[in-house]
Amino acid sequence: MRLTTKFTLWYFAIMLVVLLIGGAIVYYEIQWKLGEVEVARHQRLNDIIALQIRDGGDYTGHPTRKRATVTLLPADSIPKGNASFYTRGLAWNPEFQTDEYKLMVTSFYTIGTAHYRITTYSFIPSFYQLLPGVVDSFKWILLVLLVLVIVSGGLISKYILAPFKRTMRSIQRFDLKQKEPIRLPETKTSEFQELNTFLLQLTESARKDYQSLKEFTENASHELQTPTAIIRGKLDLLMESDIRDEQAILIAEMQNALERLSRIHSSLTLLTKLENKEYKAGEPVCISNLARETLAAFDELIQMKSIDLRVHIEKGVYIPMHQSLADLLLTNLISNAIRHNNVPQGAAKGLIRVELTHEGLVIVNTGREPGIPTKELFERFRKGNSGSDSIGIGLAIVRQICELSHFDIEYHYNSGLHMLAVSFLPKLPASKLLQNLSLPLQVDAAGGRSKNRSL
Amino acid sequence: MKVLIVEDNQELARNIRDYLGREGYICESCETLEQAKEKITLFQYDCILLDIGLPDGNGISLLNYIRAEYKDTNVLIISARNALDDKIIGLEKGADDYITKPFHLAELHARIRAIYRRKNLGGARIVEFNEISLNTDTFEVRVGDTLLDTTPKEFDLLLYFIVNKNRVLSRQSIAAHLWGDYTDNLANFDFVYQHVKNLRRKISYAGGMDYISTVYGLGYKFNSHLGANG
Repeated sequence: MRLTTKFTLWYFAIMLVVLLIGGAIVYYEIQWKLGEVEVARHQRLNDIIALQIRDGGDYTGHPTRKRATVTLLPADSIPKGNASFYTRGLAWNPEFQTDEYKLMVTSFYTIGTAHYRITTYSFIPSFYQLLPGVVDSFKWILLVLLVLVIVSGGLISKYILAPFKRTMRSIQRFDLKQKEPIRLPETKTSEFQELNTFLLQLTESARKDYQSLKEFTENASHELQTPTAIIRGKLDLLMESDIRDEQAILIAEMQNALERLSRIHSSLTLLTKLENKEYKAGEPVCISNLARETLAAFDELIQMKSIDLRVHIEKGVYIPMHQSLADLLLTNLISNAIRHNNVPQGAAKGLIRVELTHEGLVIVNTGREPGIPTKELFERFRKGNSGSDSIGIGLAIVRQICELSHFDIEYHYNSGLHMLAVSFLPKLPASKLLQNLSLPLQVDAAGGRSKNRSL
Repeated sequence: MKVLIVEDNQELARNIRDYLGREGYICESCETLEQAKEKITLFQYDCILLDIGLPDGNGISLLNYIRAEYKDTNVLIISARNALDDKIIGLEKGADDYITKPFHLAELHARIRAIYRRKNLGGARIVEFNEISLNTDTFEVRVGDTLLDTTPKEFDLLLYFIVNKNRVLSRQSIAAHLWGDYTDNLANFDFVYQHVKNLRRKISYAGGMDYISTVYGLGYKFNSHLGANG
């Protein structure tokens, strides 16, 4: 629910309460005032009648006596201290032939030595008759207020919340990687000033933390790669010198370990960079072309291992992602499929199937059963085959790239076949791709290495 | 060829100097941007190996200076930062190539030769050794007059051998050269072995000499003096 709507509803509820109480007050006020005015009028009339009596003369039939009763009282029956009182209540009105609200004012006078009681009355509108009028007018007031609150609520909140909305927009545009501190709009509202100050501090510290982390990664990378480069260079030079066979073996072993070290290091650095989201999607990359190029680059390896390769690549699959990441993704997946390829028992040769459609990419290859569940292969340093030479970070990189690009990835192993599917569409689970695989999962009967490229 | 090594790490600079020195290159090295600027002003170099992270600043600024003042000098950037930004900025600012630490010295040498061929031999991009000639434009290999049917990787490999002739090339260095930095799972030396074997077979078949020999435990070597090395 929008803030303005909330405010309007609350105001409306408050208005309703206020108007109900106000209505009751107005109702009772009118009722009391009407009685008061009427009583005052009758007291004045009573006074006039008393004056007429004092003057003497015959006033019978005078308009003042129309609804008046004058009674001569014995001296002892005059109530003490009370010159006048009034009563009211429903009574029969003979003029209108109906029960009406009757106000009766009784006053006591002493004129000369005689004591008089003068009572006048009149029929006034009943309070119950006023009620609908009160309710009606308050209904209109409520309606007018409602319209005003809704209209002004929209306009005023737009004006008051404008700085807040601008702040929101700035925050949405905020990027940890940006070099400048975030710029927030000026505002005179103290709450928004507070919010802006807080946001400024928060984003600034996040930005600085990110920067220092990035610098640390880069420095660590720099500081470690240089000594590695030195050792590698020295070994290169040492190889040239006059060495014995056993020394050559030692050098070769060092070379191997160094290679591993350097690869672990560069992969970890790459993973950090991926996690830091340093590679942003640029222009859409033509995955179709890239897949063909990558396969061509590995063509000789595939031939050497005499793998049966079948490829189905749809034309013009463009995905918005960083060119290098697309490259890494394909290289890692295809090289994995080649590297971990094994000729299954009873078969002539291993196979690789690559299917690229607009929905996603599926790579199937023959291979040994992994020693751990396929899900765990995406973890760092997890290998399906602990004896292998790989460092087990390729799939971690693949997963990170998929997460960055919002791809779904699935890895299945089923009776000698490794199946890896990457779905490019956010709503399509990768497992769906595996069900719709169109390529044959058997080695060609003819045994020939065929490429089935539908362009 | 005269090479200036701008690298703050003396050990690394010495490695490069030693390796290139044996190839007959004249190498000088310096450690800071200031020294580098001075040397560039005073002497002429065919190639400058430029480290990005230097004690007194970023190597990119020197690259700007070189490109403004000395257009013909080749610049090869050496960086430990595998950051893509550096790579792109470096190449945009006019560096001729980019190599990431830790590199194999043979690879560095191959890159320097490649830049030199591209820029200085204008058009005639033929690398020759005795009866073998490689055309780096058309990727054709000839032994005498016979055209060899080589794959792109075999072409690369042969070029790598000839540029680094009489050097022991480790299998790691060959694998890195052929398959690049991210050969995570492809350090399978069987492939290197296969490629070398195929290449030797093809050259011999075309009547060429078998220059390539196996160095026990380490890798391979392209021998220019067959008689001397056996």
